[in-house]
Amino acid sequence: MTAFNPEDRGRHKKLILTWSITFLVLFPLLIVLGLLMRMNQGEVIKVDNATFYSYMTLHGLGMAGVLFSMAWAAVFYLVGTRYVKLNIGLGYAVFLLVVIGSVGLAVATLIGKFAAGWYMLYPLPFIGATWKAWTTGLAIISLIIMGVAWLIGCLHVVYALSREYGGFTNLIGWQYLGKKPPEKELPPLALIATISLVPGILAFIAGAAMLVMYLLQHLEPSLSFDALVQKNLMFFFGHTLVNITMYCGVGWLYTLLPEFTGREWKLNKLTVYAWNATFFFIVFAYFHHLYMDFVQPTGLQIAGQLASYFSAIPATAVTMFGVIAQLYRSKVKWGVIPTAFLLGVAGWAIGGFAAVVDSTISINKVLHNTLWVPAHFHTYMLMGVVLLILAFLYYLGSTEKNRDLSPKAGFGFWLFVAGAYGFLLMFYLGGMESIPRRFSEYASSGIAHTHDTGALLAKVAALFVALVLIGLLMMYGALFNGLLKKDQAPAK
Amino acid sequence: MRKGNQGDRRAAWIAATGAVVLFAVLSFPCNYWLSLTMPRHQAIQLPAMLLIGLALGRVARKVNVKDLSWGLALLLLAMGSLIFWMLPRSIDLAVIHPWFNRIMHVHMVATGFAIAITLRNMPFELKIAFPGMLAGMLIATGASLRAFTILLCSSFTIEQQHETGMWLMLIGVAVFLGTAVFFIRRLGRE
Ligand code: HEM
Repeated sequence: MTAFNPEDRGRHKKLILTWSITFLVLFPLLIVLGLLMRMNQGEVIKVDNATFYSYMTLHGLGMAGVLFSMAWAAVFYLVGTRYVKLNIGLGYAVFLLVVIGSVGLAVATLIGKFAAGWYMLYPLPFIGATWKAWTTGLAIISLIIMGVAWLIGCLHVVYALSREYGGFTNLIGWQYLGKKPPEKELPPLALIATISLVPGILAFIAGAAMLVMYLLQHLEPSLSFDALVQKNLMFFFGHTLVNITMYCGVGWLYTLLPEFTGREWKLNKLTVYAWNATFFFIVFAYFHHLYMDFVQPTGLQIAGQLASYFSAIPATAVTMFGVIAQLYRSKVKWGVIPTAFLLGVAGWAIGGFAAVVDSTISINKVLHNTLWVPAHFHTYMLMGVVLLILAFLYYLGSTEKNRDLSPKAGFGFWLFVAGAYGFLLMFYLGGMESIPRRFSEYASSGIAHTHDTGALLAKVAALFVALVLIGLLMMYGALFNGLLKKDQAPAK
Repeated sequence: MRKGNQGDRRAAWIAATGAVVLFAVLSFPCNYWLSLTMPRHQAIQLPAMLLIGLALGRVARKVNVKDLSWGLALLLLAMGSLIFWMLPRSIDLAVIHPWFNRIMHVHMVATGFAIAITLRNMPFELKIAFPGMLAGMLIATGASLRAFTILLCSSFTIEQQHETGMWLMLIGVAVFLGTAVFFIRRLGRE
């Protein structure tokens, strides 16, 4: 059993505060980009196409990167203060590299107007680009730097855990599958972190290969690669990154919610089977991004369909039942932390359901590339991952005696949630009305219905986004107060 | 104990002598044959030199780089060296001038040696990240060589260029799989 001294905890606390404050600063800025996009689509403001798409690129890449980084940092903190010793220096190195990469991306998009979208679909960055060539190079190098940082960060956590819990098979919970009870309990966070971070490690290496190819083509424009291979590599990297961000959040849900309900949440055979299914299928789930690519072998399309179901449904189901078992008739005090956890899981389920609908081939034929796509992933990112992160941040800033927020912050929280669901609803309605995604404005579609409905929904959505921002700012007082309080003992 | 040490030392000497002999054979009598086609040059001679360096580093147990900053610097330098000897201009010069080729041989042996004496003392994370990134780079370079329809090295033919690309991709995949196996086994052993 690892012994933790207060000094170690203090150092971990400083590191997680650095991550948290960076997150709290960047997150609303990235939302503002989203607001500007919605206002442009709603014809409230007018930005030129180059600017719109550079915003869209920074918003997408920024959100995906910031949320994953914050999720990793939270796992790093919880693992490093509860289960095994982790290297704080390495934590800072990851932070520094991520900051360098983020600055590079911001310069490439905001100054250089790099605008290839968050997954930079090949060969888009190299054909008819409206942005300067250096920005492509800078964006690629920035992503490589961030990828290396995440790779090393994930390796560190998994390795440290495996030393503590007796190897890889123990980490994925196989000791629970035998007849004898396990010699040493495995904390759910250790299992879920491994299930998430190991596929992440594979994805980052695949991403490195792909980004080096991008870089080579950037340096030598006469080169050209197989577009299908590139798309497979890109989505293996991008989809896995976003997917495991969610699972990291679920990991700390298993750890922290029991502190509010007073009930243990332990692993058992069923949970282990469910998460092992995720572990196996998660690496193939990205195939559903390629349904419209007729050159992709049919076998892989079917595999994608099955993997999408099997990677998500078992883990979601056992977690939902777990949450219900935790909460049912428990004497939980409904402060913001358990509420955010519950709503975060609900957002995961709602967005996940919308995703499974979209990943069903016959439905995807209709919904493909409509606003249904941003609708579903914004649901589980904004109302799933972000709520789990907010719950973690509140937890971090609270003490065992005082887990509650000021009433103003509580109101801000509900405003945030209401605004977010309103904003999401406009995306869903847009999807149902076949409004295409990624249109900077809808007039150029040349279809009156698309224009009128798309612009109206966008205008209403912009109002809801304003509520999201106001709610967030109202929460900030309590959040910063808690996080920056000096005399406070670090969370357990 | 002493006997064991002596045995180890003898094995080290034998391995070192073998490595030097192999280096001499590949660099002198076989050089012409190995420089005749691009796959031989890039997929046999260059990796062979690197492997010789790695083997030498493995037996030179007393030579170690333990400091993390130095280790990182050396690994970055090693990565840079590998990239340098994959550049078309370097390859062309190496094929045209045997002395330049020999610089490549020595450089690759030194690179392999540096990787071996560094990586074994580095944290687990680097032991995975370095070969992982190397695999990524090899696959990407191989794919580029296969994709290029323009002749990159004027000393070779386009078919050879494509073939080299395929070999580099295969080597990259092998390094990736090797790294994955090492990763899982190391975790398993803990
Ligand atoms: C209130 C908060 C947010 C607002 C207002 C917002 C707004 C938007 C808008 C308007 C788009 C363009 C939709 C289109 O027409 O295709 C978009 C795209 C996107 N957003 Fe958000 N978003 C928010 C939160 C998030 C979060 C939390 C994430 C987390 C990952 C995220 C990731 C993305 C991504 C990946 C894209 C796609 C970019 C692309 O297509 O290249 N957003 N967002």
